[in-house]
Amino acid sequence: MNKLRFYFFHLMPYPHIPPSTEFPSTWVSLSNKHYDPQRGRVLYNEYIDQLVAAEKYGFDGVGVNEHHANFYGTMPSPNIIAAMLVQRTSHIPIGVIGNAIPLHGNPLRVAEEIAMLDVISGGRMISGFVRGIGCEYFNNGVTPADSVERFNEAHDLIIKAWTDDGPFTWQGDHFYVPNVNIIPKPLQQPHPPIWIPGQGSLETLQFVARHHYTYMMVFSPLWFTRMAFDGLREECKRIGYDAPKSMFNACVQTYVAETDEQAHREAKAHLSWVFNTGLKIPDQLFFPPGYMSTKSFRNFVGLLQKGKVKPQAQLSYDELIRDRYIIVGSPETVKNQLGEYCDEVGAGGVLAVGSSFGPMPNWMVMKNMQIFAEEVMPAFREADGKPDHLRLEPPAPATHAEFAARFGRPPETARSLVTGGGNELVEHRLAHLPEVIDKTMSDSEERPASAG
Amino acid sequence: MSYIDVVDKVDVPKPARFYTPPHFETVSGLPIAYRRQGQGEAVVLMHGAGFTRMWIPLYQMMAERCDFIAPEQPGFGETPMPTWFRSFDDLTLLYDQLFDQLGLDRIHLIGFSMGGWAAAEFASFYPRRLKSLALITPVGLRLPDNPGVDIFQLPPAELMDRLFQDKSVMMEFLPDVANFDEGIQLYAEFAAAARLMWAPRYNLALERRLQRLRCPTLVVGAEQDRLVPNEMSDRYAEVLPNSRLVRIPGTGHEPCLERPRPLADALLGLIEEAK
Repeated sequence: MNKLRFYFFHLMPYPHIPPSTEFPSTWVSLSNKHYDPQRGRVLYNEYIDQLVAAEKYGFDGVGVNEHHANFYGTMPSPNIIAAMLVQRTSHIPIGVIGNAIPLHGNPLRVAEEIAMLDVISGGRMISGFVRGIGCEYFNNGVTPADSVERFNEAHDLIIKAWTDDGPFTWQGDHFYVPNVNIIPKPLQQPHPPIWIPGQGSLETLQFVARHHYTYMMVFSPLWFTRMAFDGLREECKRIGYDAPKSMFNACVQTYVAETDEQAHREAKAHLSWVFNTGLKIPDQLFFPPGYMSTKSFRNFVGLLQKGKVKPQAQLSYDELIRDRYIIVGSPETVKNQLGEYCDEVGAGGVLAVGSSFGPMPNWMVMKNMQIFAEEVMPAFREADGKPDHLRLEPPAPATHAEFAARFGRPPETARSLVTGGGNELVEHRLAHLPEVIDKTMSDSEERPASAG
Repeated sequence: MSYIDVVDKVDVPKPARFYTPPHFETVSGLPIAYRRQGQGEAVVLMHGAGFTRMWIPLYQMMAERCDFIAPEQPGFGETPMPTWFRSFDDLTLLYDQLFDQLGLDRIHLIGFSMGGWAAAEFASFYPRRLKSLALITPVGLRLPDNPGVDIFQLPPAELMDRLFQDKSVMMEFLPDVANFDEGIQLYAEFAAAARLMWAPRYNLALERRLQRLRCPTLVVGAEQDRLVPNEMSDRYAEVLPNSRLVRIPGTGHEPCLERPRPLADALLGLIEEAK
């Protein structure tokens, strides 16, 4: 087992917008007239290529997520990107981290899509669930005040749809489905690993601990990540769950180049964009009414007022570096700081390392990825340098021969009713052989007259 | 055991000006805060999405001429929010029960802004309870080509600016945001409003159901409302039977705060006519 797992993460931003000094918000209100689909096409395809390349470079997984009506992350349907990655990669785990399950009319759509992806990919899916940030609720008829309840219920429904034999009836407070019977069901048993992104709220930590899920931070300073992980460890201990290290995923954007100076030169403008422009969100859009419980809102505003946290759009580059939102430097620097970071918070994995940030051009993303893979990753790997998934037995056979050896022929109960001389049940596999199909041929005088 | 499961019960701050302690009437286990003063015709006012907990000058002017009752709906002022509370239907039934318990049979009903919508909903279900209905800068109908601004997207300063035509009144009633608890209370009250109004911001059945009304009705519009289009009060006046529209000079969305005297005179005129 490697010391750390590394996840290449993409938001798929659309950065060709005016400077953030010219508008109040990159979300909700900034008009989509700034979106040029011609440029969007080029970006999407570069981004997908980058995610695909992450497999070859040796990452432990790739991650995509859902956001709406903004330029920071243009994946309103992350499952579509995941579907492309399933087809263009072979072994790497693919995380949708996550689908915003309270936002949708019928959560079974997510259950079905992730199940499809999991079956097609041979069990490579990681399924993340999120509420969506506050902004998403403005594009939607779902009252933010119902967000937590809908999240909890949608989660319960999806897990039951994946794990219980259908059909069954779902009689929830927010969702009613007369007949739940999803086909396909996921390949991984009992279901794909569940990741829950969080911002450290106690309710989320308790939820993760109770279900033994994997927790992942969103962009946060080191002290905050440590506080959240400590809280989660405490929750796990309280309920007697021996939490594995892989349960704790940090989220740190890293950029690596030949020297410290060169790394800062290359990354500064792009990493700054992520925060100063991409995350430029006024409070009333970030916290629509009821999105947070009054108690959570009170705690959060308290932290803001004490100066403990600062809106991300107001962070200077130096503050981003100082608080370890980001790690930038030579391979030596990134290796050391990332190692210290993960030791300090007790992380088993880290997201957004060696990834793509804001308007960063494709060549720079590839450069970052390559140097990260070749000069940082090995320090945290076993001697063979492999990601864990290449050392473990994959969830599904890689070849037809292997599949046939393990699973054999389709069940003999898979038969078709063929009418004719007598009603025959024939085995599909043999149905074309004369001794099987000829028995169903009736004499010409007994054939029913054509309806026409 | 009460079936009320109160959401986030927190201490409610008391505004520095105009605060008066309320009475409480427990309805289905929910303690509903209300203020009541005066004698004569029973007049109930349903408030908008803010400026709660205060006995404002308009209320005093009304109470000098009638039995004036101002309840606070769930999640506003000192009335807690039960977890099950979701809709104007829930609110209408709570009010019906509250009025029974307070010994109010037929009433004059006034609502402003969100409370205008609430009053219109109540009126459409209980038309026989009403002696008159007055809606002040109400919301709740669909204006197909004019949805107006999204109040939930507005930064606080712009929201305040849009509420008031008269900025001197605005300064007088500005919530004390330096008070930490007041900021939290405002968020909680907005959350309560969002439960009722996030989507959609209208009830298409209202226009049809309001045809059940037989009592005199009045719509009070602003001179220039920059929050809710003036067209909304025009539309209500068109839809309501036996209705007329008055616009109070010098007002924006908050005639209750901006021009209480002429507003009180208009409301009392309707009550006098309908009693």
